[in-house]
Amino acid sequence: MEISVYSLKNVLFQGEASLLNCKTVTGEITILDNHDSLITVLSAGVIKIVDENKKDNYFPVKSGFLEVKPGNEVRCIVEQ
Amino acid sequence: MDSPQNIKKRVKSVNNINKITKAMEMVAATKMRKSQEIALASRPYAFAALDFLATVSSLDQKLPELFEVREVKKVLFVLVSSDKGLAGAFNSSVFRKFEKHEKEYPASAKGSGAAREEKFYIAVGEKSCNYLEKKGLNIVQKFNAVGDYTTPEQVHPITDFIVKGFIEKKWDRVIVVSTHFRSALKQEPHVRRILPIDFDHIKETVQQIIPERGKFAELIKEHQITFVPDRMRLKQFLIEPSSEKVLQQLGEHLFFIQFYHLILEANASEHSARRMAMKTASDNASDLGEKLNLQYNKSRQSKITTEISEISAGAEALN
Repeated sequence: MEISVYSLKNVLFQGEASLLNCKTVTGEITILDNHDSLITVLSAGVIKIVDENKKDNYFPVKSGFLEVKPGNEVRCIVEQ
Repeated sequence: MDSPQNIKKRVKSVNNINKITKAMEMVAATKMRKSQEIALASRPYAFAALDFLATVSSLDQKLPELFEVREVKKVLFVLVSSDKGLAGAFNSSVFRKFEKHEKEYPASAKGSGAAREEKFYIAVGEKSCNYLEKKGLNIVQKFNAVGDYTTPEQVHPITDFIVKGFIEKKWDRVIVVSTHFRSALKQEPHVRRILPIDFDHIKETVQQIIPERGKFAELIKEHQITFVPDRMRLKQFLIEPSSEKVLQQLGEHLFFIQFYHLILEANASEHSARRMAMKTASDNASDLGEKLNLQYNKSRQSKITTEISEISAGAEALN
């Protein structure tokens, strides 16, 4: 799936990835390929993204929003 | 004519002024470039957030308080200016725009039959604080040190304060007077309504981040977002915890982004206004320096001429 993570200062991540794990206000979730469309609010924690080279990427966030769009596209706007 | 020594002194001080203003010009130019870069760096984020809002707000439901249009009884004005002077007409153009708006505004309010509104003011930057104090207006709060480059941490106290007041119904409308950065040579003061939140207003602000001309102008075509969400597709969205909560948070967030951008733009404008002012100052200084130099040479020459004529007159008398 295509993931992009934006913060106010820069673009944190953009590209293909296989997994995204983050904390939301309702609990921790993991998003894999072909996830259902979802809009949710992120809470303070760490976003973990496993990219196509099986490399882990970690981004600490204070708050933010997550949107899973139809068409295997995920977008996060976060505050650090 | 002044004595050569006096003129020499003046030439020296003018040259020093020239050096100083030139250095300040350089500093302002680099700062301008940097603040533009910062503004641009946050654009993908702002666009994503807008797109997000487009999706969420198209769901049928009550809009949160920040979007609510109430009967306007109290208006809050926010004047964004710089902390430091020597920026040419940067601050005074903001104040002039504000005064013009003040003058025109009662007329339009009368037309709608509204009673006179109560007015409050927030000063952002030392200069606007001084200005409002001099006019004896009702300053609710002042914020300093957002100059140079703002960080989100510096803007948060301001937006939090405004949002809190809006929700507590201390004011029903918030208007910002700030400078719009059109290009490095041209800045214009703008009056914008930022609360209640209006979709088009935010979009406008975000789009204006890119200057019309100059290094970053070509980026303008890059982003094209549509604001016609597909209703059929939207029904499939799962929203957690609830669409109302998400929208409320998003509203606050967008308000913050908009304000952040306004201040970034004011920063960039301040630096480029200062650069222009310093450039004119150093041009003037070098002009003046040239003139004084000429004057110095002339007075030196005339002194030599007098001396020679005195000597030759003395030699003549000896013969």
